[in-house]
Amino acid sequence: MTDPDPAARDRFDLVRRALVALEASETTTPDCLDDDTIAAHAEGTLDAAARAAVLPHLATCRRCRAAVASVAHALADPAVLREISRADGAAGRRLWRIALPAAAAAAILVAIGLPRWGSDDRHRAPPQPVVQVPTPLAPIGVVAEASALRWAAVAGADRYRLTLFDAGGRVLYEAQLGDTAVALPDSISLIPDHPYLWKVEARTGWDRWSASELVQFSIARGLLR
Amino acid sequence: MDDWVAELQAGKPESAWDRFLDRYRRLIFSAIRHYAQDYDDVMDVFAQVCEALRADDLRRLRCYVDQTDHRARFSTWLVTVVRHLTIDWFRHRDGRRRISTVAERLPPLQRRIFEHVFLDRRSHAEAYELIRTGETRDLSFKEYQAELRATYRAVTNGRRGGVLRELGAPPPPDVESDSPHYADRREAREFIARALGALSDEDRVAVELHVVEELPAADVARLLGLPNAKAVYNRVYRALELLRGQFERAGLSREDL
Repeated sequence: MTDPDPAARDRFDLVRRALVALEASETTTPDCLDDDTIAAHAEGTLDAAARAAVLPHLATCRRCRAAVASVAHALADPAVLREISRADGAAGRRLWRIALPAAAAAAILVAIGLPRWGSDDRHRAPPQPVVQVPTPLAPIGVVAEASALRWAAVAGADRYRLTLFDAGGRVLYEAQLGDTAVALPDSISLIPDHPYLWKVEARTGWDRWSASELVQFSIARGLLR
Repeated sequence: MDDWVAELQAGKPESAWDRFLDRYRRLIFSAIRHYAQDYDDVMDVFAQVCEALRADDLRRLRCYVDQTDHRARFSTWLVTVVRHLTIDWFRHRDGRRRISTVAERLPPLQRRIFEHVFLDRRSHAEAYELIRTGETRDLSFKEYQAELRATYRAVTNGRRGGVLRELGAPPPPDVESDSPHYADRREAREFIARALGALSDEDRVAVELHVVEELPAADVARLLGLPNAKAVYNRVYRALELLRGQFERAGLSREDL
């Protein structure tokens, strides 16, 4: 553990030692996570509902926790990351996907940063065919209401993945569907004058997704969704 | 659609395999090298990975392709599978023999500890009990801890250090305990487990991943859907503060661990 505050290391020394001392034998149970879930958890693409469903198991299963942490460590290895980008045929795409939640509050950085990654000749993958990306239609900017999100269809896409963030980058809502619009559930309560961001990804081939730009919107004060 | 998937779905496993390997060979090697540094180990594990993926006309790959929905990208799924196969290789047969050579240079007691903890995946406490039931009945826990730390230092510094860190439990604390009764430590651990169990699942996973698995806070944030590393620090330190208060009130000390 790397502490931002060195004094904290001394303060919590006993607790750290206790946690490490609590190691346990690794045993497999029927609840243990499958490879797809471990991988999604490690790359941070598990949707909120799925993440909430696996947390109770992860809290008590050292084997699965270690596997998730191990794969996350591997994904942070520059050599592995480079080969993933090469194999996926789109250098830097993973950087984009992983960095997205943290950067969501600063959409301007995305707008500036993406062309910069794209123009970096190091580790560039072979030229790929131009892939059509989905275009968000509404809501964008200041709107009177935002009960649903809509985007333009992408030719050949059979599935769309929608993600809504708050200004802090926290994922508020995720959904996968075949349609080009989704109604927000009643459990999502949007606050007037607060900025929100969303993006949509289109599945254009087997394990190939093309992402829209991140767009921002807010609801005009006095008009709740 | 990827060419290897098209070939697989067309019922041409051999052609699918060639195309798959052409595209993912380098990724497989890089994932193996993340865990194993020794050249011979890497080559043997690669052969094992290929054998496992090719088995039953590419059954594993076919199962993945046949799934209608995937939570992870294929490349990440593949890294996960390679990780498991690499660890399995080292835990069984040839891999086990290979890492057993690491133990040859160790003194007898450390060799026993190595076998219990790294090869048989026993917890440190279980390993101590097993060793005490054998020929080393008079081994104190304090002496055992010193030998355990020496074993970790010896085996995780070499060429196979990376994979051995994966195979073993988290390293033991770096201070010695002279608590005279094992029952006291067991009670202390039960108390720690109860305190940890009282945390919310999200807090507990954040603490375990950051403190025990040593995952950077930014990565923990990504895994748990938190906005940033600062949110992880806040959550983890709040939980640690809570645990610290409970430990202090219960009179828990380093010697109890």
